[in-house]
Amino acid sequence: MSSNMASSSAGSGDSSAARKNSKRPKCIDYSSALLSLTLLDSKFTQQELPACKPILTPGWVISTFLIVSVIFIPLGVISLFASQDVVEIVDRYDNDCIPAPARTNKVAFIQGAAPKSCNRTLTVTKRMKQPIYVYYQLENFYQNHRRYVKSRSDSQLRSPKFENQISACKPEDDAGGKPIVPCGLIAWSLFNDTYTLSRNNTPLAVNKKGIAWKSDKEHKFGNKVFPKNFQKGNLTGGATLNPDIPLSEQEDLIVWMRTAALPTFRKLYGKIETDLENGDTIQVTLQNNYNTYSFSGKKKLVLSTTSWLGGKNDFLGIAYLTVGGICFFLALAFTIMYLVKPRRLGDPSYLSWNRNPGGGR
Amino acid sequence: MDKPPPHHESISSRWSFSSKDKEVTFADLGSKRIRHGSAGADSEMLSMSQKEIRDEDARLIYINDPDRTNETFDFTGNSIKTAKYSVFTFLPRNLFEQFHRVAYVYFLVIAVLNQLPQLAVFGRGASIMPLAFVLLVSAIKDAYEDFRRHRSDRVENNRLALVFEDNEFKEKQWKYIRVGEVIKVVSNQTLPCDMVLLATSDPTGVVYVQTTNLDGESNLKTRYAKQETLQKATDLETFDGFIKCEKPNRNIYGFQANMEIDGRRLSLGPSNIILRGCELKNTEWALGVVVYAGSETKAMLNNSGAPSKRSRLETRMNLEIILLSLFLIALCTTAAATAAVWLRTHRDDLDTILFYRRKDYSVRPEGKNHNYYGWGWEIFFTFFMAVIVYQIMIPISLYISMELVRIGQAYFMTRDDLMYDESSNSSFQCRALNINEDLGQIKYLFSDKTGTLTDNKMEFQCACIGGVDYSGREPAEIDGVTLKPKMRVRVDPSLLQLTRNNKATEEAKRANEFFLSLAACNTIVPIVTNTSDPNVKLVDYQGESPDEQALVYAAAAYGFLLIERTSGHIVINVRGEMQRFNVLGLHEFDSDRKRMSVILGCPDTSVKLFVKGADSSMFSVMDEESYGDVIEATKKQLHAYSSDGLRTLVVGMRKLNDTEFEQWHASFEAASTALIGRAGLLRKVAGNIETKLRIVGATAIEDKLQRGVPEAIESLRIAGIKVWVLTGDKQETAISIGFSSRLLTRNMRQIVINSNSLDSCRRSLEEANASVASDDEESVALIIDGTSLIYVLDNDLEDVLFQVACKSSAVLCCRVAPFQKAGIVALVKNRTSDMTLAIGDGANDVSMIQMADVGVGISGQEGRQAVMASDFAMGQFRFLVPLLLVHGHWNYQRMGYMILYNFYRNAVFVLILFWYVLFTCYTLTTAITEWSSVLYSVVYTSFPTIVIGILDKNLGRRILLSHPQLYGVGQRAEGYSTTLFWYTMFDTVWQSAAIFFIPLFAYWGSTIDTSSLGDLWTIAAVVVVNLHLAMDVIRWNWIAHAAIWGSIVAACICVVVIDVIPTLPGYWAIFQVAKTWMFWFCLLAIVVTALLPRFAIKFLVEYYRPSDVRIAREVEKLRSFSESQQNMGTEMNQIRDPPRR
Repeated sequence: MSSNMASSSAGSGDSSAARKNSKRPKCIDYSSALLSLTLLDSKFTQQELPACKPILTPGWVISTFLIVSVIFIPLGVISLFASQDVVEIVDRYDNDCIPAPARTNKVAFIQGAAPKSCNRTLTVTKRMKQPIYVYYQLENFYQNHRRYVKSRSDSQLRSPKFENQISACKPEDDAGGKPIVPCGLIAWSLFNDTYTLSRNNTPLAVNKKGIAWKSDKEHKFGNKVFPKNFQKGNLTGGATLNPDIPLSEQEDLIVWMRTAALPTFRKLYGKIETDLENGDTIQVTLQNNYNTYSFSGKKKLVLSTTSWLGGKNDFLGIAYLTVGGICFFLALAFTIMYLVKPRRLGDPSYLSWNRNPGGGR
Repeated sequence: MDKPPPHHESISSRWSFSSKDKEVTFADLGSKRIRHGSAGADSEMLSMSQKEIRDEDARLIYINDPDRTNETFDFTGNSIKTAKYSVFTFLPRNLFEQFHRVAYVYFLVIAVLNQLPQLAVFGRGASIMPLAFVLLVSAIKDAYEDFRRHRSDRVENNRLALVFEDNEFKEKQWKYIRVGEVIKVVSNQTLPCDMVLLATSDPTGVVYVQTTNLDGESNLKTRYAKQETLQKATDLETFDGFIKCEKPNRNIYGFQANMEIDGRRLSLGPSNIILRGCELKNTEWALGVVVYAGSETKAMLNNSGAPSKRSRLETRMNLEIILLSLFLIALCTTAAATAAVWLRTHRDDLDTILFYRRKDYSVRPEGKNHNYYGWGWEIFFTFFMAVIVYQIMIPISLYISMELVRIGQAYFMTRDDLMYDESSNSSFQCRALNINEDLGQIKYLFSDKTGTLTDNKMEFQCACIGGVDYSGREPAEIDGVTLKPKMRVRVDPSLLQLTRNNKATEEAKRANEFFLSLAACNTIVPIVTNTSDPNVKLVDYQGESPDEQALVYAAAAYGFLLIERTSGHIVINVRGEMQRFNVLGLHEFDSDRKRMSVILGCPDTSVKLFVKGADSSMFSVMDEESYGDVIEATKKQLHAYSSDGLRTLVVGMRKLNDTEFEQWHASFEAASTALIGRAGLLRKVAGNIETKLRIVGATAIEDKLQRGVPEAIESLRIAGIKVWVLTGDKQETAISIGFSSRLLTRNMRQIVINSNSLDSCRRSLEEANASVASDDEESVALIIDGTSLIYVLDNDLEDVLFQVACKSSAVLCCRVAPFQKAGIVALVKNRTSDMTLAIGDGANDVSMIQMADVGVGISGQEGRQAVMASDFAMGQFRFLVPLLLVHGHWNYQRMGYMILYNFYRNAVFVLILFWYVLFTCYTLTTAITEWSSVLYSVVYTSFPTIVIGILDKNLGRRILLSHPQLYGVGQRAEGYSTTLFWYTMFDTVWQSAAIFFIPLFAYWGSTIDTSSLGDLWTIAAVVVVNLHLAMDVIRWNWIAHAAIWGSIVAACICVVVIDVIPTLPGYWAIFQVAKTWMFWFCLLAIVVTALLPRFAIKFLVEYYRPSDVRIAREVEKLRSFSESQQNMGTEMNQIRDPPRR
């Protein structure tokens, strides 16, 4: 039967194009361009468009895995190198900067009027090339909390015309009936610890310009919008702003308003534009003002160089090496399996009706 | 359709329903309980027609008095309104109808929830957009369709008709016609409403109508005006009477009413009414009184579409939808519970936590809770916010995608050249748009025989005259004009010679009688049409039975040309000589007698009775004493004929002497004017006269198998589809067709069940069951006849029959009544979850087509009723092979994959959102912008899945056709199952974790901001989800490339567009983040890591556990076609008979 069926079906398949043409003879009479158009049309309607039909053969799969491992392992290595290149000094000070007697009630201390000044000494263990970035790192601080991220007014930041668009900003929307600019929890909670750095007893300049995105300074924060009524409420959240400087120049605020995606995050404080040598000691005089104690958030001061790949983080390098390794292993395993137990492709004896003839399923 | 031997529209007995009418009536009953046994059904129908119409069920129509008619009851006017909406009602009604769909209600509920201030997750615009978009598209589509309906309504309503008013016929627009008015219709005009005939141009009151618009049948039907109204109608002014008729209903073959004129009461039946939409033919004019108008006409009442069916896959899918709902609830519960825990542990600090700030001190100094309602409420709100955020876990867009995909698939099915019928110039039709994928899972095929397996172009093949077999042309000429029959028939030269021979041999006389009876004993209407040559006219024979047509054409070929038929006489051109015969009486065909007869007054003044009928009913009324040997010889011949698969009829005649005729005439008159039990009386009269017949001969008509039927049946059987053929033919004919169509093969053991009682039926079935149970190897064919089925159906024997039938390779049901067909389908459908398909072409297949999971109609000779009831319609039986094996296979595989993929792509996104919640203090912040969340399932990922769902093919059509076993994929439901669903879900969890956690760890403790990370997640998800699809695409043509890569590009463009809006928090984020190498390193790592397990496992499974499809793909790709033919072919030959499943 099969040969007979096959020939008839094959025949009808072949003749379909011919039949199509005979059905539309007028198209053939026209130019050959039209003819090819008709053929294309019929190929489309007959679902016979020229197509590539790749199948997963062992060769393809093994080479894919090999290629992936060949790409991934070097990438992993250079990622690790990039991460290793980064020199980073991290200093956690939230606990140490509270005088020992006050540590039983840190929140009371931070809310109190006692002097918050605190001195830290950092040692450079490896030469750091400029620019060296000064970050503050907060942990367990949910800048992505739903209540928090929504509490801002982007139109107000952009233009004085929209000063009154404060509906999203509750509970920091107005003070005494006048709108707060910039309103909302995010601006209200602006980080207000300050760092003064000196190296070997000479002041170390920290450049606080150019720490925010240029796009934000130019388009998102208006240069005619000045802070108003800011931090005038009953509860002060964080830093105050100089009402004479437009928002577009308030780079700390702009950086802060780019809310962090994750609960452990760094924000750029400034840049040191000189190299630091191995063995240098850096004295930091900081004002420990910011209250992270009520939710046991950590505060860290970070001095870090960067590589082309970013900061110090070995994860990506390890991930690349792992994936590359797995792919290499799979390539090897599949090669062995292929050599030990190959299957001839297109072997009809694997067809279900040939495996157990008559029995069916 | 298997016609029981020819049936006839009666001239004199206007009452009884023809057998065809009865069948359709049963079909119309549809869902009602199916009765078995023709006798009982018949009598019930008769009793119905004689029943008095109760007053409360009746409507009264005063003839030619529309004012009085409409006084008490305000009947519907004749203006029709198929349009659903007006300008004002469009919005509310359309919305109301659209919200009948659960999917839209779900959308709406989510959108409404989102409007509550406490729950507002998305902005107004973003939350309403998807619903608004879908509603708008559907509304535009509906509005356009409705506009077209309005336009056609207007055209229809403004057509003109002649209405009798103020003593003359005036033109009036259709919409103003009222019930009770008298209307005149002229030839070739379309009828404006349903009317009872009062008079026609024909003195006997006959009118011919064509019902193409109504049921698609192109042959002419005869309708009659009552004799009593014929004369009265000449003077319409004084016409006084009323009609009491039943309430409007949709049965186009039924009508009962009484007419009262001048105190006389007349009964009206279906043959007295002509229906809206029909065309008047061959009649100069007709007068009728309007009984139903406008929307109450039978045509309009029948105007509803095919009943909608739901696909098996979609029903199956509901289970997984429920599972997904449970996931959704679990995710929301987790979010709510963890949020509650956090709130409890930090309850003392909430007022001052910088990122929470519960108190609003601006109101009063001690502060007031801002947007905080106690932690119980917070749990509640969090839960519902989670529902809003994770809403696409239930892939509502899937339903819309599925509809689009089905439309696309239907387009390609209708355009397929393999299913284009050149002879009728008709392409495949998809009438039901929601069961495409069911075509890939069929396990039982129920096929009608005549017209489905065969052409239903009856061809006269053999005659047996006086026991002598004649199995082997010239036009007549009158007045210089040559009359030619429209169809030529192959003639047997020796027989032709015999009829030509004017010698009065006994043989020649018999032959002449034979052909005279063929020409006379029927209800065929000859229609003479002109041709381009003025000297040649064509005679076209119109009738409802193709068998009769064939016989009349045969008679014409042998020189007995039927030229004219009126109710009183017929004119036959006998070898050039016009002869006029008076029709003294006609007993129409009925299924009890299984024969018809006509009494003719011949030109030589003798009166002759001609009878024609099925052999079983004819031999019992023959004069066996005188013609015993002829009967024996004929019987032998008949057996030979039916073994060749021919349809046979036996013709007998008798000369009536005067007393016999007088007696008959008296009783005939009495019976036909009887008011009660007319049909029964007429049948009795017929039975009395149809006795002691002389056998004239027997005819054999061939109903040719359609092209490609044997190959098609064999393919389907190899594909594991059980083919049941249901036919009205007798056993021998059925078996021989079975062999010629390769349904039966010589090495099958035949189990024949034809019993006449319940007990014997039970016995033989149980024997059969025992024999098939004991013997596994042998292939068995079950042949069962209609009488046995009467005992089997609706009985505990159904189970036994089902068991036997399951083990048989082929099942053949012969002598099956139309309503039994549905019973047989129901028998299988109720006992198995396998899919059933019924295919047929005639009105008698309608019930079966509607009963089966998939109904296929053949648009053939017998009108379009089967097509109207079907889900798919096509021109030829053999198209079933490409339909099922190719399109069914593709559609099933595409749809199965599409459902799984849609579950996956939505769940991946939801899980990414969910993982993030664990790092946002359990609040439902989304790093991904709300517009991206909305666009994700609408723009970013929807297009490729629709394109692939329409276009991808796992195998080429050649290999699917040459290896029908590949169809088993669908029958075994390999394309979609709960197991596959779970695999997909595990993969989903892995992929979402890879997409989420790689950037999370890579950016942990860095300066990354929410928008940038959100953009990375968005793009990573879109790339992974589209590459996942790309990995499973089998055929990469340019459309697939464009869809998949285009989607990724479109998503990137959308992300960029969203990020250039300065008032959104994420302004310029994508540009900032894409500048960094980290971004691209993360993206690469995500894509490879997410898809790695799937890729490896896919390969392992395909290589070491290859499915049939995979092997076939390898064959298709790696080997030349001819080689594979030989290779796979030899091995297939070993199993010529497919494995029993």
